[in-house]
Amino acid sequence: MSYLSISNVTKQFGDTVVVDNFNLDVEKGEFVSFLGPSGCGKTTTLRMVAGFEIPTSGKILLDGADITDKAPNQRNVGMIFQSYALFPNMTVAQNIGFGLRVRKEPEDTIKQRVDEMVGLINLEKHADKYPYQLSGGQQQRVSLARALANRPQVLLLDEPLSALDAKIRVSLRAEIRAIQRSLGITAIFVTHDQEEALSISDRIVVMNTGEMEQVGTPFEIYNFPKTRFVANFVGSLNTSDAEVIDPAKGLVSMDGVQFEAAEGTNGRTKGDKVKIAIRPERLSFASEQKKANVVDCTIENITFLGSVVRIQVKIGNSKFNMDTFNNPFLELPKIGAKEQVTCSKEAVLVLDE
Amino acid sequence: MASTQDGKVAEMNMLARIRRIPFWSWFWFILGALYFILPLYATLKFSLGMERDVIGFKAYGRAFEDPEFLSTFLYSNVLALMTIIASIVLIVPTAYWIRLRLPEARRIVEFITLLPFVVPAIILVFGLIRIYSSPINVPFTEMTLLQPLTTFEVGTDILIVAGYVVLGLPYMYRSVDTGMRTVDVRTLTEAAQSLGASWFTIIVRVILPNIRAALLSGALLTFAIVVGEVTLASFLGVPTFGPYLFLLGQHRAYEPAALSFASFLLTWAAMGLIQLFTGGQGQVSGAH
Repeated sequence: MSYLSISNVTKQFGDTVVVDNFNLDVEKGEFVSFLGPSGCGKTTTLRMVAGFEIPTSGKILLDGADITDKAPNQRNVGMIFQSYALFPNMTVAQNIGFGLRVRKEPEDTIKQRVDEMVGLINLEKHADKYPYQLSGGQQQRVSLARALANRPQVLLLDEPLSALDAKIRVSLRAEIRAIQRSLGITAIFVTHDQEEALSISDRIVVMNTGEMEQVGTPFEIYNFPKTRFVANFVGSLNTSDAEVIDPAKGLVSMDGVQFEAAEGTNGRTKGDKVKIAIRPERLSFASEQKKANVVDCTIENITFLGSVVRIQVKIGNSKFNMDTFNNPFLELPKIGAKEQVTCSKEAVLVLDE
Repeated sequence: MASTQDGKVAEMNMLARIRRIPFWSWFWFILGALYFILPLYATLKFSLGMERDVIGFKAYGRAFEDPEFLSTFLYSNVLALMTIIASIVLIVPTAYWIRLRLPEARRIVEFITLLPFVVPAIILVFGLIRIYSSPINVPFTEMTLLQPLTTFEVGTDILIVAGYVVLGLPYMYRSVDTGMRTVDVRTLTEAAQSLGASWFTIIVRVILPNIRAALLSGALLTFAIVVGEVTLASFLGVPTFGPYLFLLGQHRAYEPAALSFASFLLTWAAMGLIQLFTGGQGQVSGAH
């Protein structure tokens, strides 16, 4: 039996269904991210696990115990908020020790645990400071330490990095992941940032309009999206209308240009309208060795993005982006030049129209 | 040497800033200041002139020597303290719950808190006397639920404190509500809940300390209202400072002026305390 089990959970606000029949099993020590656009129900699901919302139907089990209707202060669940939610009237040490004081732990234990937590987040020198004297990143680290001080069964993180600048976000997410791994704590992380979810999670739950679109490892989600929404939402994607011309061979036609796909045409018939999708980094200029999916194109635009150069090519009537790693010896084609691009069969995703 | 020069530079900068303030800003500021200061000055000057051709504190001495002054003043202070405690107990959880769970009730509650501006104190006191001067029975029975409150001292004190809570309602509610607006009540509550805190702990250890300045402002206003209140105290026959000052004014000239000025000083002292407690920021340290 899984450590955290969310079974058939539905949440309605009036007539609006915000979360629809959500099912998820999370193993102990696993880091799961809820990824989706605003209003997809990811935060509501997290809040139901925290106890701030009660499901309209369904059950939530934590380590075998039914916590569906339990008050938030009766669940041993730690929560981290986007706005840090540190108590402004308390110092860093007092914030971290708050939960332990509420539990009426002995002062010695509180002091020892607070010292341990302050060390964990490397803020030993700031223990006596008030939240307003800290930077956003430091405040969020204190919030993490405060949530962990109580040794919660599950750590819930509600877009904890959204209010921080890009550099801090990257370093703090690595820090959160390292701490989570070292403590072996089960964590659920809510984000709308796909890069964040891909980089930090054991598994990702992609959500859309209150429903789960796909659950899988970051590798599966990125490389094998099961729905058009997932394919579009996670990573950049070139998409275009196409038509199945030979389901057995996986052939599809886009504006008369043929592509061979490894998967996605099974169960379809000749003439079916589909979408083909290719990630920009899976396209490359054709060389002698590559024979599959070699198509003619015209260079439309070239954008320098630092580590990557994005080349826009026109294939048939569709414009596709092609990403290639930047290096000082890269020979870039001229705009308007006629070239050939290629991609593997596996790179061609055939999705419902 | 360097610090002297720095001081001079700072002084010059300040003078330059003052010179940059437009004429009409100065005009309205001085007019406003005079409006407040002149009556105070007149009261002070009058209170110091009890002895002919001598400026002295005789009126103050006389006023403070009167045992009635001390007893009524202390009594009013105790009532003010009771009123402030009752107001906090009633208003803080109400404002908190409205902000947290019942935002749609805010308009109704705000309307109720404004009623003391519409219903004069005289109406309030007659209402209180009318209802609580006879025993209150359990509906449809002869069983007495509540003895007439106006017939014994503690009962009358309860009545007057209840009346003062109503009179102070607009000020205390607005202060508390404004204070709660400056902190993210909902998220702080959820954070505290997730750490195992009960509602009581949340209010006492998280919410109250973060609206300390607002509470002090509300308490000060309530204090000022209670100490100077005459109508409720007179009609309920409670020996407080307000009716004492009123009676004194009918028989003496200089002492009431002295006591009025002393009351102003007391109010300023209270405002100073707020500044002291809040570090001059009007908000607790950390609530940024």
